[in-house]
Amino acid sequence: MHERLSFYVKRESPLHQLNPLTKLTLIFGLILPAFLVPFYWTPHLLLVLVVFPLAFLGKVQGEYFNAATRLILPAAGFLFVMQALFIPGGEVVLARVWFLTLTQESLLYAFANAVRIFVMISSFTLFMLTTHPSELMSDLTRRGLPGQFAYVIIATLQIIPQMQAKANTIIAAQRSRGLDTESSFSRRIRALVPLVGPLVFGSLVEVEERAIAIEARGFTSRLPKTSLREISDRPLDKGLRWLLLAMMLASLLSRIWFS
Amino acid sequence: MNICVENLSFRYPNGVLALQGVSLEIASGEQVAIIGQNGAGKTTLVKHLNGLLQPTEGRVLIGDWDTRKYSVAKLAQRVGYVFQNPDEQLFTKTVAEEIAFGPRNLGYSKERLQTLVEDALQLTQLQAMRSANPYDLSPTWRKMVAIASILAMDTPILIFDEPTTGQDAASVGRLATIIAELKQRGKTVITITHDIDFCAENFGRVIVMGNGQVLLDGSAKEVLGQEAILAQTFVDPPQITRLGLRLGLTEVVCTPQEFLDVFETQCAA
Repeated sequence: MHERLSFYVKRESPLHQLNPLTKLTLIFGLILPAFLVPFYWTPHLLLVLVVFPLAFLGKVQGEYFNAATRLILPAAGFLFVMQALFIPGGEVVLARVWFLTLTQESLLYAFANAVRIFVMISSFTLFMLTTHPSELMSDLTRRGLPGQFAYVIIATLQIIPQMQAKANTIIAAQRSRGLDTESSFSRRIRALVPLVGPLVFGSLVEVEERAIAIEARGFTSRLPKTSLREISDRPLDKGLRWLLLAMMLASLLSRIWFS
Repeated sequence: MNICVENLSFRYPNGVLALQGVSLEIASGEQVAIIGQNGAGKTTLVKHLNGLLQPTEGRVLIGDWDTRKYSVAKLAQRVGYVFQNPDEQLFTKTVAEEIAFGPRNLGYSKERLQTLVEDALQLTQLQAMRSANPYDLSPTWRKMVAIASILAMDTPILIFDEPTTGQDAASVGRLATIIAELKQRGKTVITITHDIDFCAENFGRVIVMGNGQVLLDGSAKEVLGQEAILAQTFVDPPQITRLGLRLGLTEVVCTPQEFLDVFETQCAA
Protein backbone atom coordinates (compact mmCIF):
# COMPACT_ATOMS: atom_id res chain seq x y z
CA MET A 1 0.00 0.00 0.00
CA HIS A 2 1.32 3.42 -0.88
CA GLU A 3 -0.08 6.31 1.00
CA ARG A 4 0.22 9.52 -0.95
CA LEU A 5 1.77 12.01 1.36
CA SER A 6 1.46 14.93 -1.03
CA PHE A 7 -0.09 15.71 -4.39
CA TYR A 8 3.32 15.31 -6.00
CA VAL A 9 3.50 12.97 -8.97
CA LYS A 10 7.00 11.73 -9.72
CA ARG A 11 7.73 12.03 -13.44
CA GLU A 12 10.54 13.18 -15.66
CA SER A 13 9.57 16.43 -17.32
CA PRO A 14 10.94 19.90 -18.03
CA LEU A 15 8.52 21.28 -15.47
CA HIS A 16 9.73 18.85 -12.80
CA GLN A 17 13.31 19.89 -13.51
CA LEU A 18 12.69 23.55 -12.91
CA ASN A 19 13.87 24.99 -9.65
CA PRO A 20 11.02 25.18 -7.10
CA LEU A 21 11.44 28.94 -6.75
CA THR A 22 11.16 29.32 -10.52
CA LYS A 23 7.88 27.44 -10.45
CA LEU A 24 6.67 29.53 -7.54
CA THR A 25 7.51 32.65 -9.55
CA LEU A 26 5.74 31.11 -12.51
CA ILE A 27 2.53 30.78 -10.48
CA PHE A 28 2.54 34.47 -9.69
CA GLY A 29 3.68 35.25 -13.20
CA LEU A 30 0.40 33.71 -14.33
CA ILE A 31 -1.89 34.99 -11.61
CA LEU A 32 -0.86 38.65 -11.60
CA PRO A 33 -1.34 39.25 -15.35
CA ALA A 34 -4.62 37.33 -15.24
CA PHE A 35 -5.93 39.75 -12.64
CA LEU A 36 -4.17 42.95 -13.63
CA VAL A 37 -3.90 43.29 -17.40
CA PRO A 38 -6.83 45.43 -18.58
CA PHE A 39 -7.21 43.58 -21.91
CA TYR A 40 -10.42 41.55 -21.51
CA TRP A 41 -9.29 38.21 -22.94
CA THR A 42 -6.02 37.98 -20.93
CA PRO A 43 -7.09 35.31 -18.40
CA HIS A 44 -8.80 33.24 -21.10
CA LEU A 45 -5.77 33.30 -23.34
CA LEU A 46 -3.44 32.53 -20.44
CA LEU A 47 -5.54 29.51 -19.53
CA VAL A 48 -5.71 28.02 -22.99
CA LEU A 49 -2.30 29.04 -24.32
CA VAL A 50 -0.16 28.71 -21.17
CA VAL A 51 -1.78 26.73 -18.35
CA PHE A 52 -3.10 23.82 -20.44
CA PRO A 53 0.15 23.37 -22.40
CA LEU A 54 2.08 23.55 -19.11
CA ALA A 55 0.07 20.57 -17.84
CA PHE A 56 1.21 18.59 -20.88
CA LEU A 57 4.76 19.88 -20.57
CA GLY A 58 4.81 18.66 -16.97
CA LYS A 59 3.35 15.29 -18.06
CA VAL A 60 0.65 15.61 -15.43
CA GLN A 61 -2.23 16.35 -17.82
CA GLY A 62 -4.23 13.34 -16.57
CA GLU A 63 -4.05 14.36 -12.92
CA TYR A 64 -4.47 18.03 -13.76
CA PHE A 65 -7.58 17.70 -15.92
CA ASN A 66 -9.04 15.32 -13.38
CA ALA A 67 -8.63 17.93 -10.64
CA ALA A 68 -9.77 20.67 -13.02
CA THR A 69 -13.08 19.03 -13.86
CA ARG A 70 -13.84 17.73 -10.40
CA LEU A 71 -12.62 20.59 -8.26
CA ILE A 72 -11.75 23.77 -10.11
CA LEU A 73 -14.59 23.78 -12.63
CA PRO A 74 -17.36 23.52 -10.00
CA ALA A 75 -15.74 26.27 -7.90
CA ALA A 76 -15.29 28.61 -10.86
CA GLY A 77 -18.74 27.70 -12.21
CA PHE A 78 -20.36 28.61 -8.91
CA LEU A 79 -18.57 31.95 -8.87
CA PHE A 80 -19.67 32.58 -12.45
CA VAL A 81 -23.35 31.96 -11.72
CA MET A 82 -23.36 34.06 -8.57
CA GLN A 83 -21.59 37.01 -10.14
CA ALA A 84 -23.55 36.89 -13.36
CA LEU A 85 -26.82 37.13 -11.46
CA PHE A 86 -25.94 39.47 -8.65
CA ILE A 87 -23.56 42.07 -10.03
CA PRO A 88 -25.60 45.24 -10.31
CA GLY A 89 -25.52 47.60 -13.28
CA GLY A 90 -25.27 47.00 -16.99
CA GLU A 91 -27.41 48.33 -19.79
CA VAL A 92 -28.01 45.45 -22.15
CA VAL A 93 -30.56 43.25 -20.39
CA LEU A 94 -30.48 39.69 -21.68
CA ALA A 95 -33.00 38.05 -19.40
CA ARG A 96 -35.17 38.81 -16.41
CA VAL A 97 -36.28 36.06 -14.06
CA TRP A 98 -38.29 37.05 -10.97
CA PHE A 99 -36.05 39.64 -9.26
CA LEU A 100 -32.87 38.56 -11.05
CA THR A 101 -31.58 40.45 -14.03
CA LEU A 102 -28.95 39.11 -16.36
CA THR A 103 -27.11 41.80 -18.27
CA GLN A 104 -24.46 41.45 -20.91
CA GLU A 105 -22.00 43.38 -18.78
CA SER A 106 -22.46 41.24 -15.67
CA LEU A 107 -22.19 38.12 -17.79
CA LEU A 108 -18.89 39.20 -19.32
CA TYR A 109 -17.52 40.37 -16.01
CA ALA A 110 -18.45 37.11 -14.30
CA PHE A 111 -16.95 35.07 -17.12
CA ALA A 112 -13.59 36.84 -16.84
CA ASN A 113 -13.55 36.52 -13.06
CA ALA A 114 -14.37 32.82 -13.16
CA VAL A 115 -11.53 32.23 -15.61
CA ARG A 116 -9.16 34.25 -13.40
CA ILE A 117 -9.99 31.96 -10.49
CA PHE A 118 -9.54 29.00 -12.81
CA VAL A 119 -6.07 30.21 -13.77
CA MET A 120 -5.17 30.84 -10.14
CA ILE A 121 -6.18 27.43 -8.77
CA SER A 122 -4.81 25.70 -11.87
CA SER A 123 -1.35 27.16 -11.48
CA PHE A 124 -1.22 26.14 -7.82
CA THR A 125 -2.41 22.67 -8.77
CA LEU A 126 0.29 22.32 -11.42
CA PHE A 127 2.85 23.56 -8.93
CA MET A 128 1.88 20.97 -6.33
CA LEU A 129 1.71 18.18 -8.88
CA THR A 130 5.22 18.79 -10.13
CA THR A 131 7.08 19.93 -7.01
CA HIS A 132 8.03 17.67 -4.14
CA PRO A 133 7.26 19.48 -0.89
CA SER A 134 10.60 18.73 0.70
CA GLU A 135 12.40 19.96 -2.41
CA LEU A 136 10.55 23.25 -2.14
CA MET A 137 11.35 23.44 1.55
CA SER A 138 15.06 22.80 1.23
CA ASP A 139 15.34 25.23 -1.65
CA LEU A 140 13.57 28.00 0.21
CA THR A 141 15.56 27.51 3.44
CA ARG A 142 18.75 27.47 1.41
CA ARG A 143 17.75 30.91 0.16
CA GLY A 144 17.41 32.14 3.71
CA LEU A 145 13.78 31.51 4.51
CA PRO A 146 13.50 30.75 8.24
CA GLY A 147 12.92 27.06 8.87
CA GLN A 148 9.74 27.78 10.79
CA PHE A 149 8.11 29.42 7.77
CA ALA A 150 9.19 26.62 5.48
CA TYR A 151 7.75 24.14 7.94
CA VAL A 152 4.39 25.88 7.97
CA ILE A 153 4.26 25.85 4.16
CA ILE A 154 5.16 22.17 3.96
CA ALA A 155 2.76 21.17 6.71
CA THR A 156 -0.05 22.96 4.88
CA LEU A 157 0.75 21.28 1.58
CA GLN A 158 0.92 17.87 3.18
CA ILE A 159 -1.91 17.94 5.66
CA ILE A 160 -4.77 17.11 3.30
CA PRO A 161 -3.34 13.93 1.75
CA GLN A 162 -2.07 12.81 5.16
CA MET A 163 -5.43 13.28 6.83
CA GLN A 164 -7.09 11.57 3.91
CA ALA A 165 -4.94 8.47 4.38
CA LYS A 166 -5.60 8.52 8.10
CA ALA A 167 -9.34 8.99 7.64
CA ASN A 168 -9.45 6.00 5.30
CA THR A 169 -7.86 3.73 7.91
CA ILE A 170 -10.23 4.97 10.60
CA ILE A 171 -13.25 4.42 8.37
CA ALA A 172 -12.06 0.88 7.67
CA ALA A 173 -11.55 0.19 11.38
CA GLN A 174 -15.00 1.46 12.36
CA ARG A 175 -16.78 -0.28 9.52
CA SER A 176 -15.14 -3.48 10.75
CA ARG A 177 -16.90 -2.81 14.05
CA GLY A 178 -20.23 -2.78 12.28
CA LEU A 179 -20.49 0.97 11.74
CA ASP A 180 -22.87 1.57 8.87
CA THR A 181 -21.44 4.28 6.63
CA GLU A 182 -23.28 3.36 3.48
CA SER A 183 -27.01 3.61 4.10
CA SER A 184 -29.35 6.50 4.90
CA PHE A 185 -28.25 10.10 5.33
CA SER A 186 -29.15 10.29 9.04
CA ARG A 187 -27.14 7.14 9.73
CA ARG A 188 -24.18 8.63 7.93
CA ILE A 189 -24.38 11.79 10.02
CA ARG A 190 -24.41 9.71 13.20
CA ALA A 191 -21.47 7.72 11.85
CA LEU A 192 -19.36 10.88 11.82
CA VAL A 193 -18.61 10.94 15.56
CA PRO A 194 -16.59 7.71 15.64
CA LEU A 195 -14.67 8.92 12.59
CA VAL A 196 -13.91 12.50 13.57
CA GLY A 197 -12.82 11.65 17.14
CA PRO A 198 -9.80 9.51 16.30
CA LEU A 199 -8.97 11.73 13.31
CA VAL A 200 -8.71 14.94 15.32
CA PHE A 201 -7.07 13.33 18.29
CA GLY A 202 -4.64 11.37 16.12
CA SER A 203 -3.70 14.49 14.18
CA LEU A 204 -2.95 16.40 17.38
CA VAL A 205 -0.77 13.57 18.63
CA GLU A 206 0.99 13.55 15.27
CA VAL A 207 1.73 17.27 15.49
CA GLU A 208 3.35 16.78 18.86
CA GLU A 209 5.36 13.78 17.69
CA ARG A 210 6.52 15.64 14.64
CA ALA A 211 7.58 18.61 16.74
CA ILE A 212 9.65 16.32 18.94
CA ALA A 213 11.11 14.51 15.94
CA ILE A 214 12.28 17.63 14.14
CA GLU A 215 13.57 19.15 17.37
CA ALA A 216 15.57 15.96 17.95
CA ARG A 217 17.21 16.61 14.59
CA GLY A 218 18.28 20.11 15.51
CA PHE A 219 15.47 22.07 13.88
CA THR A 220 16.00 25.18 16.01
CA SER A 221 19.78 25.01 15.86
CA ARG A 222 21.25 28.27 14.62
CA LEU A 223 24.23 26.74 12.88
CA PRO A 224 24.25 26.64 9.07
CA LYS A 225 22.57 23.50 7.77
CA THR A 226 23.39 21.27 4.87
CA SER A 227 20.86 19.50 2.73
CA LEU A 228 20.66 15.93 1.52
CA ARG A 229 19.02 17.03 -1.69
CA GLU A 230 20.96 18.87 -4.33
CA ILE A 231 18.48 21.16 -6.00
CA SER A 232 19.48 22.36 -9.41
CA ASP A 233 19.26 26.05 -10.14
CA ARG A 234 20.37 26.46 -13.72
CA PRO A 235 21.00 29.73 -15.55
CA LEU A 236 17.76 28.92 -17.40
CA ASP A 237 15.94 29.12 -14.06
CA LYS A 238 17.46 32.48 -13.24
CA GLY A 239 16.62 33.81 -16.67
CA LEU A 240 13.04 32.59 -16.43
CA ARG A 241 12.61 34.18 -13.05
CA TRP A 242 13.77 37.59 -14.31
CA LEU A 243 11.52 37.26 -17.33
CA LEU A 244 8.53 36.41 -15.18
CA LEU A 245 9.33 39.23 -12.79
CA ALA A 246 9.44 41.61 -15.74
CA MET A 247 6.08 40.31 -16.93
CA MET A 248 4.55 40.84 -13.52
CA LEU A 249 5.89 44.38 -13.44
CA ALA A 250 4.62 45.01 -16.96
CA SER A 251 1.15 43.82 -16.09
CA LEU A 252 1.13 46.08 -13.04
CA LEU A 253 2.26 49.05 -15.14
CA SER A 254 -0.29 48.32 -17.85
CA ARG A 255 -2.97 48.39 -15.18
CA ILE A 256 -1.84 51.79 -13.91
CA TRP A 257 -1.30 53.17 -17.40
CA PHE A 258 -4.65 52.27 -18.91
CA SER A 259 -6.93 53.13 -16.03
CA MET B 1 -18.12 -21.09 10.24
CA ASN B 2 -15.73 -22.02 7.43
CA ILE B 3 -13.69 -19.55 5.48
CA CYS B 4 -13.07 -20.36 1.86
CA VAL B 5 -10.69 -18.35 -0.29
CA GLU B 6 -10.83 -19.37 -3.94
CA ASN B 7 -8.12 -18.38 -6.38
CA LEU B 8 -7.97 -14.87 -4.94
CA SER B 9 -6.00 -12.18 -6.76
CA PHE B 10 -5.89 -8.54 -5.86
CA ARG B 11 -4.39 -5.56 -7.58
CA TYR B 12 -4.22 -2.18 -5.86
CA PRO B 13 -5.39 0.82 -7.90
CA ASN B 14 -1.74 1.88 -8.27
CA GLY B 15 -1.06 -1.34 -10.17
CA VAL B 16 0.70 -3.35 -7.47
CA LEU B 17 -0.35 -7.00 -7.62
CA ALA B 18 -0.60 -7.82 -3.91
CA LEU B 19 -2.16 -11.28 -4.11
CA GLN B 20 -1.82 -13.82 -6.89
CA GLY B 21 -4.07 -16.83 -6.95
CA VAL B 22 -4.37 -17.52 -3.23
CA SER B 23 -6.57 -20.49 -2.33
CA LEU B 24 -7.13 -21.76 1.17
CA GLU B 25 -9.74 -23.07 3.53
CA ILE B 26 -9.92 -22.38 7.23
CA ALA B 27 -12.25 -24.61 9.19
CA SER B 28 -14.40 -23.47 12.07
CA GLY B 29 -12.45 -23.19 15.32
CA GLU B 30 -8.94 -23.23 13.79
CA GLN B 31 -6.12 -21.08 15.20
CA VAL B 32 -4.10 -19.81 12.28
CA ALA B 33 -1.01 -17.62 12.19
CA ILE B 34 -0.01 -15.84 9.00
CA ILE B 35 3.65 -14.93 8.71
CA GLY B 36 5.91 -13.51 6.02
CA GLN B 37 7.98 -10.44 5.19
CA ASN B 38 6.48 -6.96 4.94
CA GLY B 39 4.64 -6.56 1.66
CA ALA B 40 4.01 -10.31 1.34
CA GLY B 41 0.26 -9.72 1.17
CA LYS B 42 -0.76 -10.75 4.70
CA THR B 43 -2.85 -7.70 5.53
CA THR B 44 -4.25 -7.55 2.01
CA LEU B 45 -5.42 -11.14 2.41
CA VAL B 46 -7.16 -10.66 5.76
CA LYS B 47 -8.77 -7.42 4.59
CA HIS B 48 -10.63 -9.58 2.09
CA LEU B 49 -12.11 -11.68 4.89
CA ASN B 50 -14.35 -8.89 6.16
CA GLY B 51 -14.93 -7.18 2.84
CA LEU B 52 -12.64 -4.18 3.36
CA LEU B 53 -11.10 -5.16 0.05
CA GLN B 54 -12.93 -6.83 -2.82
CA PRO B 55 -11.21 -9.48 -4.96
CA THR B 56 -9.88 -8.42 -8.34
CA GLU B 57 -10.29 -12.08 -9.26
CA GLY B 58 -11.61 -15.10 -7.42
CA ARG B 59 -13.88 -15.01 -4.41
CA VAL B 60 -14.04 -15.26 -0.65
CA LEU B 61 -16.76 -17.11 1.24
CA ILE B 62 -17.46 -16.59 4.93
CA GLY B 63 -19.80 -19.46 5.71
CA ASP B 64 -22.38 -19.14 2.94
CA TRP B 65 -21.76 -15.42 2.40
CA ASP B 66 -19.82 -14.24 -0.64
CA THR B 67 -17.98 -11.10 0.57
CA ARG B 68 -18.79 -9.31 -2.68
CA LYS B 69 -22.49 -9.37 -1.85
CA TYR B 70 -22.34 -8.10 1.74
CA SER B 71 -21.27 -4.77 3.21
CA VAL B 72 -18.41 -4.53 5.69
CA ALA B 73 -20.89 -3.54 8.41
CA LYS B 74 -22.92 -6.69 7.68
CA LEU B 75 -19.85 -8.95 7.55
CA ALA B 76 -18.90 -7.56 10.97
CA GLN B 77 -21.51 -9.96 12.36
CA ARG B 78 -19.28 -12.83 11.33
CA VAL B 79 -15.74 -11.45 11.28
CA GLY B 80 -14.15 -9.24 13.95
CA TYR B 81 -11.00 -7.41 12.88
CA VAL B 82 -8.56 -5.86 15.36
CA PHE B 83 -6.50 -3.21 13.57
CA GLN B 84 -2.81 -2.68 14.27
CA ASN B 85 -3.09 0.78 15.74
CA PRO B 86 -5.70 1.14 18.51
CA ASP B 87 -5.60 4.94 18.19
CA GLU B 88 -7.32 4.64 14.84
CA GLN B 89 -10.56 3.43 16.41
CA LEU B 90 -10.86 4.70 19.99
CA PHE B 91 -13.30 7.60 20.33
CA THR B 92 -15.47 7.29 23.45
CA LYS B 93 -14.93 8.71 26.92
CA THR B 94 -14.76 5.42 28.78
CA VAL B 95 -13.35 1.98 28.16
CA ALA B 96 -16.72 0.29 28.74
CA GLU B 97 -18.49 2.54 26.19
CA GLU B 98 -15.76 1.88 23.67
CA ILE B 99 -16.22 -1.87 24.07
CA ALA B 100 -20.00 -1.57 23.75
CA PHE B 101 -19.78 0.30 20.42
CA GLY B 102 -19.27 -2.77 18.21
CA PRO B 103 -21.93 -5.05 19.74
CA ARG B 104 -24.40 -2.15 19.78
CA ASN B 105 -23.85 -1.67 16.04
CA LEU B 106 -24.69 -5.34 15.59
CA GLY B 107 -28.04 -4.75 17.29
CA TYR B 108 -27.68 -7.11 20.24
CA SER B 109 -30.24 -6.97 23.07
CA LYS B 110 -29.44 -4.90 26.15
CA GLU B 111 -28.85 -7.93 28.38
CA ARG B 112 -26.61 -9.61 25.85
CA LEU B 113 -24.67 -6.37 25.35
CA GLN B 114 -24.10 -6.14 29.11
CA THR B 115 -22.88 -9.75 29.34
CA LEU B 116 -20.59 -9.38 26.33
CA VAL B 117 -18.98 -6.18 27.63
CA GLU B 118 -18.38 -7.74 31.07
CA ASP B 119 -16.92 -10.83 29.44
CA ALA B 120 -14.59 -8.81 27.21
CA LEU B 121 -13.45 -6.68 30.16
CA GLN B 122 -12.68 -9.82 32.11
CA LEU B 123 -10.84 -11.58 29.26
CA THR B 124 -8.58 -8.58 28.72
CA GLN B 125 -8.21 -7.87 32.46
CA LEU B 126 -9.56 -4.37 31.99
CA GLN B 127 -12.22 -4.50 34.73
CA ALA B 128 -10.44 -2.00 36.97
CA MET B 129 -10.09 0.47 34.07
CA ARG B 130 -13.68 0.28 32.83
CA SER B 131 -14.50 3.93 33.45
CA ALA B 132 -11.10 5.30 32.49
CA ASN B 133 -10.68 7.33 29.30
CA PRO B 134 -8.93 5.06 26.78
CA TYR B 135 -6.47 7.83 25.96
CA ASP B 136 -5.34 8.00 29.59
CA LEU B 137 -4.18 4.39 29.40
CA SER B 138 -0.73 3.27 28.28
CA PRO B 139 -0.41 2.09 24.66
CA THR B 140 -0.28 -1.51 25.91
CA TRP B 141 -3.65 -1.18 27.59
CA ARG B 142 -5.11 0.82 24.72
CA LYS B 143 -4.33 -2.19 22.57
CA MET B 144 -6.26 -4.34 25.06
CA VAL B 145 -9.22 -1.95 24.79
CA ALA B 146 -9.15 -2.32 21.02
CA ILE B 147 -9.04 -6.10 21.36
CA ALA B 148 -11.84 -6.11 23.95
CA SER B 149 -13.99 -3.96 21.67
CA ILE B 150 -13.79 -6.66 19.01
CA LEU B 151 -14.11 -9.61 21.43
CA ALA B 152 -17.40 -8.13 22.66
CA MET B 153 -18.85 -8.41 19.16
CA ASP B 154 -18.92 -12.17 19.73
CA THR B 155 -18.12 -13.03 16.12
CA PRO B 156 -17.34 -16.63 15.16
CA ILE B 157 -14.18 -15.44 13.40
CA LEU B 158 -11.55 -13.05 14.81
CA ILE B 159 -8.65 -11.44 13.01
CA PHE B 160 -5.69 -9.87 14.81
CA ASP B 161 -3.27 -7.76 12.80
CA GLU B 162 0.11 -7.86 14.53
CA PRO B 163 -1.25 -7.94 18.08
CA THR B 164 2.15 -8.33 19.78
CA THR B 165 3.90 -5.36 18.16
CA GLY B 166 5.18 -3.02 20.87
CA GLN B 167 3.71 -5.13 23.68
CA ASP B 168 5.60 -6.19 26.81
CA ALA B 169 5.85 -9.79 27.98
CA ALA B 170 2.89 -9.44 30.34
CA SER B 171 0.70 -8.18 27.50
CA VAL B 172 1.86 -10.93 25.14
CA GLY B 173 1.00 -13.40 27.92
CA ARG B 174 -2.50 -11.91 28.18
CA LEU B 175 -2.89 -12.26 24.43
CA ALA B 176 -1.89 -15.93 24.59
CA THR B 177 -4.50 -16.50 27.31
CA ILE B 178 -7.17 -14.76 25.24
CA ILE B 179 -6.35 -16.84 22.17
CA ALA B 180 -6.44 -20.06 24.24
CA GLU B 181 -9.83 -19.05 25.65
CA LEU B 182 -11.16 -18.28 22.18
CA LYS B 183 -10.01 -21.71 21.07
CA GLN B 184 -11.92 -23.25 23.98
CA ARG B 185 -15.02 -21.44 22.83
CA GLY B 186 -14.65 -22.80 19.32
CA LYS B 187 -13.85 -19.46 17.66
CA THR B 188 -11.70 -19.19 14.57
CA VAL B 189 -8.65 -16.99 15.20
CA ILE B 190 -6.47 -15.64 12.41
CA THR B 191 -3.39 -13.68 13.46
CA ILE B 192 -0.83 -11.84 11.41
CA THR B 193 2.44 -11.75 13.29
CA HIS B 194 6.16 -11.16 13.00
CA ASP B 195 6.72 -12.65 16.45
CA ILE B 196 7.82 -16.15 15.53
CA ASP B 197 7.89 -17.47 19.12
CA PHE B 198 4.37 -16.21 19.70
CA CYS B 199 3.38 -17.95 16.48
CA ALA B 200 5.07 -21.25 17.42
CA GLU B 201 3.59 -21.36 20.89
CA ASN B 202 -0.01 -20.41 20.23
CA PHE B 203 -1.07 -21.53 16.78
CA GLY B 204 -1.74 -25.01 15.47
CA ARG B 205 -1.63 -23.93 11.86
CA VAL B 206 0.83 -21.60 10.18
CA ILE B 207 0.47 -20.01 6.76
CA VAL B 208 3.61 -18.51 5.24
CA MET B 209 3.17 -15.83 2.60
CA GLY B 210 5.68 -14.33 0.22
CA ASN B 211 5.23 -12.16 -2.83
CA GLY B 212 1.45 -12.38 -2.79
CA GLN B 213 1.36 -16.15 -2.67
CA VAL B 214 1.04 -18.89 -0.04
CA LEU B 215 4.48 -20.47 0.25
CA LEU B 216 3.70 -22.93 3.04
CA ASP B 217 0.55 -23.98 4.82
CA GLY B 218 0.43 -26.64 7.52
CA SER B 219 0.94 -27.42 11.18
CA ALA B 220 3.56 -25.40 13.05
CA LYS B 221 5.84 -28.45 13.06
CA GLU B 222 5.54 -28.97 9.30
CA VAL B 223 6.09 -25.33 8.48
CA LEU B 224 8.63 -24.00 10.94
CA GLY B 225 11.24 -26.62 10.09
CA GLN B 226 11.46 -25.49 6.44
CA GLU B 227 14.33 -23.08 6.88
CA ALA B 228 15.06 -22.67 3.18
CA ILE B 229 11.53 -21.76 2.14
CA LEU B 230 11.04 -19.51 5.17
CA ALA B 231 14.22 -17.67 4.21
CA GLN B 232 12.61 -16.71 0.88
CA THR B 233 10.26 -14.45 2.79
CA PHE B 234 12.82 -13.42 5.41
CA VAL B 235 11.45 -15.46 8.28
CA ASP B 236 13.76 -17.25 10.74
CA PRO B 237 12.36 -20.31 12.53
CA PRO B 238 12.21 -19.95 16.34
CA GLN B 239 15.63 -20.27 18.00
CA ILE B 240 14.65 -23.52 19.69
CA THR B 241 13.61 -25.00 16.33
CA ARG B 242 16.90 -23.96 14.76
CA LEU B 243 18.79 -25.46 17.67
CA GLY B 244 16.85 -28.69 17.20
CA LEU B 245 17.70 -28.72 13.49
CA ARG B 246 21.42 -28.08 14.14
CA LEU B 247 21.48 -30.88 16.70
CA GLY B 248 19.94 -33.17 14.14
CA LEU B 249 16.89 -34.05 16.19
CA THR B 250 14.66 -36.54 14.40
CA GLU B 251 11.63 -34.33 14.89
CA VAL B 252 11.01 -30.61 14.33
CA VAL B 253 10.41 -28.89 17.66
CA CYS B 254 8.63 -25.58 18.17
CA THR B 255 8.62 -25.01 21.92
CA PRO B 256 11.15 -25.54 24.74
CA GLN B 257 8.99 -28.33 26.16
CA GLU B 258 8.89 -30.18 22.86
CA PHE B 259 12.63 -29.75 22.59
CA LEU B 260 13.22 -31.28 26.02
CA ASP B 261 10.89 -34.20 25.32
CA VAL B 262 12.49 -35.10 22.00
CA PHE B 263 16.01 -34.45 23.26
CA GLU B 264 15.57 -36.73 26.29
CA THR B 265 14.06 -39.62 24.36
CA GLN B 266 16.81 -39.35 21.77
CA CYS B 267 19.55 -39.28 24.40
CA ALA B 268 18.04 -42.26 26.14
CA ALA B 269 17.95 -44.22 22.89
